[in-house]
Amino acid sequence: MRTFRTIFKKELIDSLRDRRTLIMMVIIPLLLFPLLMTISTKIQVRQMRRAQEKILKIGLVTNGNAEAFRQTLFARTDVQIVENLHVDSAEALILSDSLDAVMVFAEDFDQEVGALRAGKVRLYFRSAEDRDIGKRRLLDLISDFEKSVVSRRFKKLNLDETILKAVRVQEKDVATQKEKIGKAIGGFLPYIFVLFCYLGALYPAIDLGAGEKERGTLETLLTSPATRFQILLGKFGVVVLTGVMSAVVSIVGLFLAVRQATEIPPELLSAILGILEVKSILLVLTLLVPLTIFLAAVLLSISIYAKSFKEAQSLISPLMIVVIVPVFIGLMPGITLDTTTALIPILNVSLATKAILSGTMTAGLLSEVYVSLILFAAASLYGCAKWFEREETIFRGS
Amino acid sequence: MIEVSNLTKTFKLNRQQKREMGPTFTDSTIDAVKEVSFTCQPGRIFTLLGPNGAGKTTALRMIATLLKPTAGTIKVCGYDVVKEPQAVRRRLGFLTGTTGLYDRLTPLEVVKYYADLHGMEESTFLRRREELFSLLDIHEFAKRRIGKLSSGMKQKVSIVRTLIHDPEVIVFDEPTAGLDVIASRHIMDLIRDCRRAGKTVIFSTHRMGEVSLLSDDLAIIHKGKLIYNGAYKDFLNQMRTESVEDEFIRLVEAA
Repeated sequence: MRTFRTIFKKELIDSLRDRRTLIMMVIIPLLLFPLLMTISTKIQVRQMRRAQEKILKIGLVTNGNAEAFRQTLFARTDVQIVENLHVDSAEALILSDSLDAVMVFAEDFDQEVGALRAGKVRLYFRSAEDRDIGKRRLLDLISDFEKSVVSRRFKKLNLDETILKAVRVQEKDVATQKEKIGKAIGGFLPYIFVLFCYLGALYPAIDLGAGEKERGTLETLLTSPATRFQILLGKFGVVVLTGVMSAVVSIVGLFLAVRQATEIPPELLSAILGILEVKSILLVLTLLVPLTIFLAAVLLSISIYAKSFKEAQSLISPLMIVVIVPVFIGLMPGITLDTTTALIPILNVSLATKAILSGTMTAGLLSEVYVSLILFAAASLYGCAKWFEREETIFRGS
Repeated sequence: MIEVSNLTKTFKLNRQQKREMGPTFTDSTIDAVKEVSFTCQPGRIFTLLGPNGAGKTTALRMIATLLKPTAGTIKVCGYDVVKEPQAVRRRLGFLTGTTGLYDRLTPLEVVKYYADLHGMEESTFLRRREELFSLLDIHEFAKRRIGKLSSGMKQKVSIVRTLIHDPEVIVFDEPTAGLDVIASRHIMDLIRDCRRAGKTVIFSTHRMGEVSLLSDDLAIIHKGKLIYNGAYKDFLNQMRTESVEDEFIRLVEAA
């Protein structure tokens, strides 16, 4: 135990003095969420405001129809109407950004409406995320116009508008706010947590394995009375710690981001803080520890095998895909935690985190996830220890 | 004392290594060390001389418990390197020319780390550290990060790291490789000091100058086999050529 402590302490000091480890373990996880949230909310709010406040330039071809609607449009201050244009030029005018949309009323529009049929209006627009608000505003105008026409028809026929409703659905959503938000952001959070566990463990694993080999310090360390397993365990402890720390710091960053976000509505904010309660977070962390042990063992095994820091980096790079793919699968709709998915490492953490945050986790499935993670962690650690015993691994290329 | 008896180390070759051996080489293994026997006595310097790839490093790594022998035995201070590797490591100091240090630690931290690994008591450690730091003038840069030290300073720290636990046996694997004249001189002085202190010293080299300056006993290794083993004085007496270098080449070519 004393030897393990000695090695662990030294490796920890050594790692914490490495700028790359510090950046990956503290700086990025801490700043990512606040920066991401601040920047994305600011951009979103600005875009929305711009789209809402924008004076829409609408090309109008009424063919002598819908005079009432035309007058309504002219009376508005948030739209600018351009008339006397040819239908054939509509697309070109929109593509060249001269107009935001063009509305073309069919020649028989008034006739059709008068005959209690639907009059045709062709709407030309350019779909894109930032233009959707403009399109929505336009459709709202048409909808208002339609309502007034329908209302007039009912009056003319001496009918009550309520006869249109034959069935009234009364929705009662039994999902709690926590469940709804938990399921919405619960897929995103494990992605971040797993990624930070991996990234936090990455540099120390490379440095303490291949880095030590490259610097020529491993050989001397192996001639000390410490057993190979003690040496491995000391290194392993630091890699796991930095991985878990990275995830913990990212959680702190997330709290800071949510707290400082001023644009989140108070009800939503309290719901988010509700799902980020200490109990849930601690439960998620207990899943991340065995997962990090598993990842650390894999990372260290590759690192120890590599002859140099550079080789370790290139060997480890494809592993990122192995880590990300199961997390992505966990984000897919319809994929839920069951007795099968609970056995697949990384995917089980992703799905279990989602279930924990939305409050739908069952004790049986949680136990299965733990058993799977612990078995994988133990097997990978055992494999790593055996790997570290091999002369061919330690002295590969020397 | 180091007692090496019928030591053999066989390595399995992978496809690339086999290719590198040339088209005439058909085996899937290679004997890096083959049936080698010698004894290193306390208070004497045993030199293992051989060209590059002769098997010097493999032999020394087996003595230092880094590699396991395929056949034969090695005893260090009476302890078998395979059966009691930790007992061997407690009594062993190991230094190579490519030995690195932890750049982000200070000399004080590195030396303390190795002392702790050797389970040294605090008072013994402090006394020993003081002795070695004074001897090698390390105090002035003891608290500086190793990455910021000159190669000479680093070499001094390496020496202290090797000797902090006062080992009975010291293994030097080409300790001056890649070092400048001044740093090499430190190592040579250190090896002589170890002899004076009654330590068992084994060092490998391919530099003839070092052989004549240091050796009490000499073994020449070539293609894994010993082609000479005896006192250096006897080697000089039975030389058939003018110089040590010529004699070495003659023996290697004849083998």
